[in-house]
Amino acid sequence: MARSLILKELMKQTMAEALLQIKNVTKQFGDHVVLKDVNLEIAKGEVVCIIGPSGSGKSTLLRCINFIAPPDQGEIVFEGRSWKKFHSAFNIFANRKYEAQLPQLRSEIGMVFQHFNVFPHMTAVENVMLGLTKVRGKDRATARKSAEQALNQVGLGDKIDQYPEKLSGGQKQRVAIARALALNPKVMLFDEVTSALDPELVSGILDEMRRLAREGMTMVVVTHEMNFAFQVANRIVFMDQGKIVTTGTPDEIRNTTDPRARAFLSSILG
Amino acid sequence: MDGYIYNWNVVWQSMPELRQGLIITLQISIVGMALAIAFGLIFATGRLSQYGYIRKISVGVVDVSRSIPLFVLLFWIYYGLSLKFSINLTAFQAGAIALGITGGAYMAEVFRGGINAIDLGQREAALAIGLTQSKAFFLVIFPQAIRIIVPQAVNVYVGLLKGATIVSVIGVADMIYVAQYVSLNSFTPFEMYSAVGIAFIALTVSVAGLAFLLEKRLNQGRARG
Repeated sequence: MARSLILKELMKQTMAEALLQIKNVTKQFGDHVVLKDVNLEIAKGEVVCIIGPSGSGKSTLLRCINFIAPPDQGEIVFEGRSWKKFHSAFNIFANRKYEAQLPQLRSEIGMVFQHFNVFPHMTAVENVMLGLTKVRGKDRATARKSAEQALNQVGLGDKIDQYPEKLSGGQKQRVAIARALALNPKVMLFDEVTSALDPELVSGILDEMRRLAREGMTMVVVTHEMNFAFQVANRIVFMDQGKIVTTGTPDEIRNTTDPRARAFLSSILG
Repeated sequence: MDGYIYNWNVVWQSMPELRQGLIITLQISIVGMALAIAFGLIFATGRLSQYGYIRKISVGVVDVSRSIPLFVLLFWIYYGLSLKFSINLTAFQAGAIALGITGGAYMAEVFRGGINAIDLGQREAALAIGLTQSKAFFLVIFPQAIRIIVPQAVNVYVGLLKGATIVSVIGVADMIYVAQYVSLNSFTPFEMYSAVGIAFIALTVSVAGLAFLLEKRLNQGRARG
């Protein structure tokens, strides 16, 4: 009893100081509605794992958070500032003005992708330096130092000057993680980052994410790795057909009564 | 060709004029290509624009300029502009512009194809670290697309090089013009045009060689986009 009270109290606090709020977000591609009125709040230091069948809108939700796929309706509130999509069919200047602000939001939010998306025409260290020099405006020497540090942290100290071509999937993903971390983001988004990896490389990347979680990084993780989700997440969100069906602590989700979540979990856990 | 007596001497004798013609062909094709790249960039940007009306205009302009025969275009620019608007261009200028417009239509497609060939994830990753749209394009997308663009641009240039022979009809003294002129007096069109043909083979092979070196440089130690 006491424990649930404390939990409730904690929840209230987290609500109050949510780092990131997703409010009534709707997104559609053509006629296909991918997200329907999604609401979610993420507190500082929280690790939220989003699970659900493919096509349920998990990745799109992540892309809405940093406006890579801007939400059609609703808003993202990040550190108290509200972000809404703006698009004028004719006023190019108004659109430019709006687009010029987005990098501010995006550079505070790190993102790691399923297919790594490292830049193949740049070495590992150049990949990591790009944001430091071209977004943060650091000089090359300083940027290189921080970039090397970031690469060392993810265990790539010996691959600094390699082109991605020469790196394994796991190493490319480490470059991508370092590239995001180097900018000191306030929250990290992970979009099925182990799905394209050979099985033997998955645990290394998951360990990297565990380390980040331990260090207190706020993380939103779309994943099919249920063990990871149940171990690391503070909260698990189950999505289906563009909606958040249920959300709760790992224990709550494990014992969920929601039929869709149960069906999904039993299909994936066997 | 039984009974035909070859007279290759004519070719050797008109070498200075042919060489001059070759230089003009090169000049006009290079200026034409520069214009083609400029027009191509503009219309590729237009076709990739987020605004529907700009896309539609660009598609229209590209389709129309691609479908006008170079010959007709040349006449419109050289005589048409002069007659209708009193804009008097030199034959060289008119030729270069005509090549630029035709080549520009092709270059627009080459640029668009190269840019579209780059995985969307590259753009997403570039934006995600906080790069602006234009920085994402120039630092991440374009350096990868250029490797796809260069070989195709070389094709367009070779096309322009050969297309450049058409400017002889408005009196630009290129190789064809020289060949024609010399043949009129010496009755040796076969020899003269063969010489021009050989010059073009040499030109095209050299261009292809240069392009190969350029491609090799662009791909040095790096994976394809």
